[in-house]
Amino acid sequence: MYRQGDVLIMALEESEVPAQFLDAPGELRDGRGRLVLALGEVTGHAHAVQGPGRLLREAGPFGPMLLHLPEGGRVVHEEHAVIALPKGWFRVVRQREYAPGAVRIVAD
Amino acid sequence: MQYVNDWRAVAAQTGEADRSAAEEGVRLAYRSAGLAEPERIIWADSPRAAVETVEKLTDAGRSVREEVRTRPWAEERRRMYDELGPAGWSALWSATGAQLWETTAALAERIRTGVVAELTTVPEDESDVRLVLLDAVLGQHDAAWLAAFDGRGDRLTGLARVARNAGWWWPYERAVVISERPVDLHRDEAGRLDRGDGPALAYRDGFALYAWRGMPVPAEFLDELAALTPERIRAEDNAELRRVMLEYYGYDRYLSESGAEPVHRDETGILWRIPLDGDEDVVTVEVVNSTPEPDGTCRTYWLRVPPGTRTARAGVAWTFGLDADAYAPARQT
Repeated sequence: MYRQGDVLIMALEESEVPAQFLDAPGELRDGRGRLVLALGEVTGHAHAVQGPGRLLREAGPFGPMLLHLPEGGRVVHEEHAVIALPKGWFRVVRQREYAPGAVRIVAD
Repeated sequence: MQYVNDWRAVAAQTGEADRSAAEEGVRLAYRSAGLAEPERIIWADSPRAAVETVEKLTDAGRSVREEVRTRPWAEERRRMYDELGPAGWSALWSATGAQLWETTAALAERIRTGVVAELTTVPEDESDVRLVLLDAVLGQHDAAWLAAFDGRGDRLTGLARVARNAGWWWPYERAVVISERPVDLHRDEAGRLDRGDGPALAYRDGFALYAWRGMPVPAEFLDELAALTPERIRAEDNAELRRVMLEYYGYDRYLSESGAEPVHRDETGILWRIPLDGDEDVVTVEVVNSTPEPDGTCRTYWLRVPPGTRTARAGVAWTFGLDADAYAPARQT
């Protein structure tokens, strides 16, 4: 389990990955060729992965998402130190905040 | 994803419209739809002013929104769906439009609500205003759809050109009413309207929306924020406004001035509880950002968690949808 700011990245066994995602096409990359896990609307700062891999969105605009890195990878962000990930599958979760009657996504 | 950031910027664009480029886009959209170009194009300073202008139009003919916007979109969507297949279309949408949908749809809905509120003096007027709003093409706030179709054909070029250069517009057979873009737009990192010292969204004629982290607040309320005291916060009956007050005032400041003691402390952070009369307690976790700021200090921040939270670890774990014992990052930055 790894955390970069408001994003938590949890390792998954391949057997835990829902079957429909194993061979599904991933999200397109951004203009800089990165897989964007979360993007700040105002600063444009992004939690992103460079290198080979796939990002699969399970549901909803804020995820959760599945990340497959066949060779491992690095999670970068303009304001956080780099996190190196081993190869494998991961679930990516955005941090949320409690509000009475609602739950709000945190963005750093 | 190649066009998403470009359209993200279009959706958030402020400042004066490029009127000639927008009008050229309008005429192109009419021609692409097989219609005669509109005889008149009338500019308004805001969506509110545009609705008033539309209500006074005479001899404009029927709305052609269906022909100009909806039908070409539906046909393009069908064409791409047939070409890409269900999975391909779904992947394209999730990589493009879905990225912009949440924030632009929420913003457009707030603008509609604001226009209805300002133009409805008696309740019977409301449905008339809403009907006019249904005829609008959302220009820059159609960015989500336009991002999905960008680079995949030229059928929507006219619509895209208007969106890049102006605000909402109303197409009728013989006339078009078109609005300027906002002059001010302030949002938080999650894309929600957010400003503590003025309107979060404002147009040049004064039409404006006030919000704090997405929550609509009255304009007078913001004036009051600068002079807040813990007593004033405690005395506020409206729970949502009190939440805004607490956030604006700062949980840390409120906690120190009210002499609060931490409820629990562990290696993940500190848990605080603020009891409020007639409302559920505010429970927050105080956490320290793991990566130091450029000046070497570590930023401390507070996140509100459910009132039943007992430990700091349980609070932090909850913010990621986990139980306390499941939360154990091997590395964090």
